[in-house]
Order: sequence, then C-alpha cells, then structure tokens
Amino acid sequence: MNKDKKNASLKKGFFGTVGGWFRRLFFGGSNDLANQLNPEQAVKAGDVEEIISPGRQILNNFLEKKLAVGALITLLVMFLVMFIGPMAMPRYYDSYTEVTQKSIPPTMDMLSVPGKLKKEGIKMIDSFGSFSVGLSNEGNVFVWGATEIGTTGIDVADIPQEVQDSNIIMVAAGIDHIVALSDAGKVLCWGNNNLGQFVTETEVLERGEPLKSTIAYMPEVLVTSGIDVSRVKKLIAGYQASAILLDDGTLYLWGNKNAYANMDVFLAMGNVYDLDFTLNHIVGVNGKRNTVYTGSRGLYDVVRPNLNEPGVPIKNYIGKRKIESIVATNTSMALLLNDGSVCFTGDFTDRMEPLPMLQNGEKFVQLVGGSYHYSGLTDQGNVYSWGSNQLNQLEVPSLKNVSNIYSGSFQTYATDAEGDLVGKWGLKGYIFGTDIRGADIFQRIINGGRMTMTVGAVAVIISSIIGIIIGCVSGYFGGKVDILLMRVAEIFSAIPFLPFAMILSAVMSHMTISENGRIFIIMCILGVLTWPGLARLVRGQVLVARESEYVTAAKAMGVKESTIAFKHILPNVMSVILVTLMLDFGTCMLTESQLSYLGFGVAYPRPTWGNMLNGVNNATIINTYWWQWLFTALFLAITTICINIVGDALRDVMDPKSSVEK
Amino acid sequence: MAKYTLKRIGYMLVVLVLLSFIMFMIYSLVPANRAYQDAKTQLTAMKNSIPKDQLSSYFDQIYLDYQRQYGTDTDNKIVRYLRWVGLAPLYDGSYNGLLQGNLGYSYEKKLPVVEVVKDPMLNTIKINILATILALGITIPLGIHCAVKRGSKLDQGVQVFTIIGYSLPTFLISILFIWIFCSKLGWFPPSGMQTPGSNFTGMRKFLDEIYYLALPLIVMTFCSLGGMTRYVRASMIEALSMDCIKTARAKGLRERAVIYSHAWRNALIPIVTLVVGWFLGIFAGSLVIEDMFALNGMGRLMIQSLRAADYDVVLLMQMFYVAISLFGNLIIDIIYGLVDPRVRVNN
Repeated sequence: MNKDKKNASLKKGFFGTVGGWFRRLFFGGSNDLANQLNPEQAVKAGDVEEIISPGRQILNNFLEKKLAVGALITLLVMFLVMFIGPMAMPRYYDSYTEVTQKSIPPTMDMLSVPGKLKKEGIKMIDSFGSFSVGLSNEGNVFVWGATEIGTTGIDVADIPQEVQDSNIIMVAAGIDHIVALSDAGKVLCWGNNNLGQFVTETEVLERGEPLKSTIAYMPEVLVTSGIDVSRVKKLIAGYQASAILLDDGTLYLWGNKNAYANMDVFLAMGNVYDLDFTLNHIVGVNGKRNTVYTGSRGLYDVVRPNLNEPGVPIKNYIGKRKIESIVATNTSMALLLNDGSVCFTGDFTDRMEPLPMLQNGEKFVQLVGGSYHYSGLTDQGNVYSWGSNQLNQLEVPSLKNVSNIYSGSFQTYATDAEGDLVGKWGLKGYIFGTDIRGADIFQRIINGGRMTMTVGAVAVIISSIIGIIIGCVSGYFGGKVDILLMRVAEIFSAIPFLPFAMILSAVMSHMTISENGRIFIIMCILGVLTWPGLARLVRGQVLVARESEYVTAAKAMGVKESTIAFKHILPNVMSVILVTLMLDFGTCMLTESQLSYLGFGVAYPRPTWGNMLNGVNNATIINTYWWQWLFTALFLAITTICINIVGDALRDVMDPKSSVEK
Repeated sequence: MAKYTLKRIGYMLVVLVLLSFIMFMIYSLVPANRAYQDAKTQLTAMKNSIPKDQLSSYFDQIYLDYQRQYGTDTDNKIVRYLRWVGLAPLYDGSYNGLLQGNLGYSYEKKLPVVEVVKDPMLNTIKINILATILALGITIPLGIHCAVKRGSKLDQGVQVFTIIGYSLPTFLISILFIWIFCSKLGWFPPSGMQTPGSNFTGMRKFLDEIYYLALPLIVMTFCSLGGMTRYVRASMIEALSMDCIKTARAKGLRERAVIYSHAWRNALIPIVTLVVGWFLGIFAGSLVIEDMFALNGMGRLMIQSLRAADYDVVLLMQMFYVAISLFGNLIIDIIYGLVDPRVRVNN
C-alpha cells in the first residue's frame, strides 16, 4: 500500500503539486488530505468536516458581487482586445496620416451604394475624399459616404433642386465639392465654395467683393449658355479644382490655385489630349501624346513598368507608342499606352503592392485610379487592383461579367453592361471616425490601449518591486533601518507628483534619447514616484505578521532572518498587496494619460489614450469633432472604472470585518 | 509638544534642502545657457559699433561678464547650487540667491519671477479656497449620510457614482462638462476668467467672475467628490462601530446626538488630516483644469513655462509645490501629535 502511495505522489510531479495547492486553496484541504491518507476508502459525504478555505471564501464572496464580476469580465475582454487586436491590423503603423481623410465622423457607409442608384443602373461613380457621387442611367445624382464637410456645416448630400430637376450626364467629386454636367451643357456645382471651388467673376462682382489672384474663376460660358455636350470628353474634379476637357483639346479649368500651383500653366494651354489631378499637381498629356506635362520640367520624366521596378526615361520607354490615357492617384499616375500596356510615374512607397502578372496576351481596356490604388479591367474580363492596401483597397472579390469599373478614393466598383453593380471593394468607413491627421481612431485606440496598459503595468511592477522590498525590510527589521527607510519614503511622497513628472519629462526632451528610451524612463518616473504608499502598507502588514506564532516558531527553528521575511511573511501579506497593485495599476494608467494629455508623456506618433486626447482642449473641437475624444475617453474610463470596481470588491471580500454588518 | 513640533520643523527643513538640491541638479541637466544667449543678443546689438576683428574677443569678454553675473562661471555644480541658494559668493564677492530674496528671472517674460508668479498664485489660491468650501460642503454631509444609512439605495448609488468620479482623470471630466454645459446647454462660457473687453467694477465684476469660474469650480468639486466622500464614509463607519457609540445608544441618546456629537468627533481626526493634505494637493491638481479653462493660475503658468523652457519660473514653482506639500505634512504631523499622544511619545 505504501509503495502505491509513493508512486502516485511521484507521478503527480510538479504540476500535480502546484495544482494541489490551488485545489486546496479553493476547495478546502480537509477533503483532499483525507483522500490522500485513505486512498482505498472512498470518503463519504459528511465523513470529513466541510471547511471552506480562505481562498474559496474570497472567491464565493467575490462571485456574489455581480457588479464586480461584470467589471472583471469587461476588464479581461479589454486586455484581450488590446493585446490581440493589434495582430489583426497588420497594415497599421503609428505615423500614418492621410490628408484627404481628416476628421471624418464615424460612418460605415462609404461603400454603400444607394439602392435607388442600383435599381436605375449605374452610369458613373466618382470620389476624391470622404464621399462618393454616383450617376444613374436615368440622369439622377446620388451622394453617399461622409458627406458633411468639416466645420463648415455644408452637407454635399443636400443635392440642389436645380440638379435634381435636370438630366445629368456626368458627375465628378472633389475633396469638398461636386460638379455635374447637365444634358443642356450647363455645369452645376455644390458643396464648399469658400475657397473659390466654383465661383464665377460675375458672382463675385455682383456681391461687390474684389477679385482674388489665388482663384481661377469658373468660365461664364459654363453657367450661362452651356457647352456642346456631345464634344465633352471628360469631366474631372481634384482637390479644390475642376476641369472639363473637350475632344478638340479645349480645356475649361477652375478652382483654388493654392491647391494646384501649376494651374496657371494649364489655364493658358490648348490642345490637351488628357488630364487628371493628383493631390498637388495637375498632370496632362498634350497632342503629341508622348510625355506627361506638368508645366515644370523633369517632374515626371522617369517611368517604371511596374511599381517595384527601376525607372527608365519616359522617351526611351514609350518610343513610338502613344499615351492613350492618364490616370492619377494622389502621388503617382499610370499611363495606359495604345498597345494596352501600362507604366507608372510618380512617388511610390514600399508598402505598395505591384501590378500582378497578366496572362499572356491579356491587355488593359480600362484603368481607374483612387487615392493610392489603381484598378484595371482587362480584355478577358479580369479585374486587378494594385497599389496601397492600407485601407483594404485591394481586396478584390470574385467577379463575373464586368464591363465597367469606377474608382472612389479608396473604393472600386464594378458594373456589367447594363449598369448593374456586380462587385464593390475597398474602404467601408471608420467605425469611430478619423482624427485630425486622417488616421483611423479605432485602430489607434486598440494600439494606444496596448501602450497605455504596458506603461501602467511596467510602472506598477517597478513600484511594487521597490515598495515590497523596502516595506518588508523596514517592517521586519525595524529600528534604525526602519526609521531611515520611512524617512526616504516620506521624502518621495513629499514630491508633488504631476509637476515633478512634467519637469523630468521636459528635461528629458532636451536630451538625445530614443523614443523607446523615453517611454521607459516615463515608466520609471511613474514607478519611482508611487512606491512609498505600497511600502508603508507592506510595512504595516509585516509588523502585524511579525508577532504571529508561525514567525516565532520559524525563529525558534533557526531559520534565517531574510528567509523569514520574504518566504514566511511575504506570502501571507500577498493578498493585500495584490489589491493595492490592482488599484495602483489604475492610478498609473490615469497618471500616464494625464501626462500624455498635457504633452509631457508619450509623444505623437505613438498613440496612447492620453495623447490621443491631446488636441481636444477647446469647446469648438469638443463639440464639432465629438468622435475624436468620446470613444477614446470611453475606453479609458471603462478600463479605469472596471479596475477600481474589481479592486474595491477584492479589498472588501478579503477583509472579513467588512462582510459583517455593523 | 513643543519639542515634537520643533523636531518636525527641523526635519522638514532638512528634506526641503535635500529636495531643492535634487531639483537644482535635475534643472541643471537642461542644456540652456542664459549667459551665452544674453551675450549673443548684446553682440548682435553692438555689431556695428565695434570693429570686426575685435568681435570675437569682445564676445568672450561679455560672455564671461554675464557668466559671472549669473554665477555660472564655474562648472562645479555644488558651487552653483550654493550660489543659487545664496550661501556662496559670486565672482565679485556679493551674495545673490534665494536667501537674499532673489528668486530668479523669467527669461520669457523679461520680469523677475516674483512678478510673474504673483497674479497666478493669487488666482489659484482663490479658486482652490472656493473649491475646497464647495467640496467639503457637499462631501461631508453626503459621506455621513451614506455611512449612517449604509447599504441603502442612496448609499449604493453614491458608491457607484463615486467610483466613476475617482476613476476618471480630471481632463476627461473637464472635456465632458465643457461638452455638456457649454456646447450642448450653453450655460457657461467655455474658457477665460472674465468677459473679454469688459471693464466691470464692484458687484458686476464679481458676478462676471463667478459666471466664468463656475464651471471650473464645478469640475474641481466633482473630481474631489469621489475620493473624499468615500473617505468620510469609511471613517464614519469605523467610528460608528466603536464601543462608545453602543454605550451612547444604550444610554438612550437621540440618534442625532449619537451621530453628530459622538461618532462624528471620532471620525473627524482622519478627515481633518485628509482635508489639509487635500487642500494642498489641489494646488498641483488644478494644473489640468487651469490649462483646460484658460485660467490665469499657477498650473497654467507652469505648463506654459515648461513649454517655453523658461526654467527659472519652473524651478521656483516646483520649489513652491514642494514647500507647500512639506508644509502640509508638517501640519498633519502636528495635528496627529495634538490628537494622538502616542505619536509624540514614539518620536
């Protein structure tokens, strides 16, 4: 029998032993021990006195507090999301900014083509910024996406009556305005007109205002007599400018000259074959159809056969071929040549995916460009997307019967010959909106949460290491050591926290320290300034424990002093320490966010919940851009509230006195 | 008692000196060189009146002069510290430091630091006293009520509410309140200390000031509600469980008398210490609120000076915060000593 028992206990090994400890902690030791002593005698219920272990008691009491359990679950979910979430965002990076996507309110409608437009058949779709405009085969205009323009109070979804009454044949969208061409040849515009996006000279003079040299005024003919629509080759809109190109090479161009510095060049130019807008340049192809014309020499003289291939001079590459069309994104452009091949010029980043290999003999028949991506339709009916995949622009679904593709700023739509939508892909929107730099707030909250929690956790670890050691030593040894250490603790607690942390952080900003180093020092500052509270608590607990019988027993057995302090006493005061650590963790997170909010903590571009609220300090931003603080604030608030609820509940259930009603 | 107090004061002074030394050392890590800046400025101003070949030697001369004037003509940081305090002589043998009343010079505002700090300090003290009165007026009755009616619906509600109150950082509460009360309801102005361009006097001025200070005060009060109410409640519960309360009840005293004259007195001891500490603590705590509401107070000045790297101001204000916090500790110690004889004996 003895042998069997020995074997059994050996088999249990390390994990068995540790598991046994936990089992005893939560299910009581008496049953367990009884089972071990008499393994062949099955213990009947009631044989052994039911004793509830302290751990079990604490757990039971805790589970009775519904609020605390809910808070604990929320907290765990929050942790999981913050630490696993970033892995689901492989394309996220801290310094991402996008000028055309600034301060967009929460919306998921950027890809939702209105049902009525689908029913009437899609004639064309265009977008440049946060909203898209679509034209149906019946000549009706539809607008969707984030249609409110910043703080101007203008909503481009309010389509003017005149547009609704006319039969529209072409539309184009700029960053904050929409241009439509009616079958009578008249150009109708709506949206933001504050920077001269679509204003004629007569209008300005009628209002009695002076003419500005920074505005290219809209040609009168477009609004008075109209133009011959059969000759219109292309209607395009750029950042705050628009253009109409006729098939004889005549160009009508108007808008804000500050947005496009080379606008004057094109205003004076005739014989334009094709034209498009990047973010900063107007790019054109003249009658010779062999170069990209911008007005400044040598800007786009080097082309690449693919995004990741080295450049070759445009003259050598094109040779005798002609440019069929030019398709511009924000920073680059694609040239479709008359033999069906494509080449690229402009700025490309490493993050862009190159054009996939086409099948033998496959040629592009249509090429469209978004803000950072291209989509092309080939003669075999295949659709490819390439370029930047930052906002899912390249997730092409499987498509059939595609005869036309249209591109939004970060979206692509494919239709069949009747104008029925057969596929759409790209950016759906931002669930929490975008910040002032155009980055997705949701992604920054998830990544910032990890940072905030890491800073809080490391700070607490540092503070607890110092606090526990000093508290234990001070409480156990007492005497001069105690007095000295407690005086040191008093000095540290006399330092006013926030001003001191700010001055340290400001001093650090004058030194050459890497960003990671800076963050680590901030963690250290937080940790070093918060240990005295914990040290006092531990000291108090140790003072009580020192007098208890088991310590006297250990002393009598001649156990070393340090072993008694750290091995016998410390585990017994651990529960109180854990609660304090939990609450301290909340405090450290709050302090970090406070520091970062004031601009003395973790700095942009690295997100934390504090510095994401950094710009929110006046009533206008608070009200107009409510999504830029509300969601971040909610995450921060929920996390810290949950930490405090759980910490409070734990403290209550661990203190047997508190459960007795007085 | 006198011996104990003296001992505490002496100890406080030691800590103050120690902390001032630490502060000065941290401050001297900043690569700011005022003498060099001033010499450069003077050189640019004098450029035309001095021959070109003498420029460099002239610069060296005035640079040295400035260094001697500011006491930075030595690399020995201990000497610099002593000069700053006013315990070591400058180059010309004179003493010009904190002890002589020279508190520094704001490089940004071209004024002595005392001038710069005067107005903001008065404002901060005014705001903080008002906030303290408001906070105590609400938290103490509320805390007592919750302790007496422990477990009631109101108590549970207040418990949840106060957890929210102290879990949220000050700036978040400010943002929330500005949003609700300024943007949505339009009851209060969002920032500033008086109507811009107004020249009110007397009662009108006072009312205008109250109108502008109302929201910051509400925020400050709200922020302190959480922690304070819980503390008052906890010490009141502790006091209510004492044997003397049972005796008082057994004697047949009215409940009101039991609570207010027996329990409350016992609960007061920890609360008084808390109030003193808290009042001093809000000097630092109002930092965010002053910045948020554009109030011309110490906190805002400190943030501005830090951003402008005006370190003379920052250093002095830091010393002020340290002094005030040590002073608070001293008062708490003395109160403890007065109230609890064991503290005196142990020391």
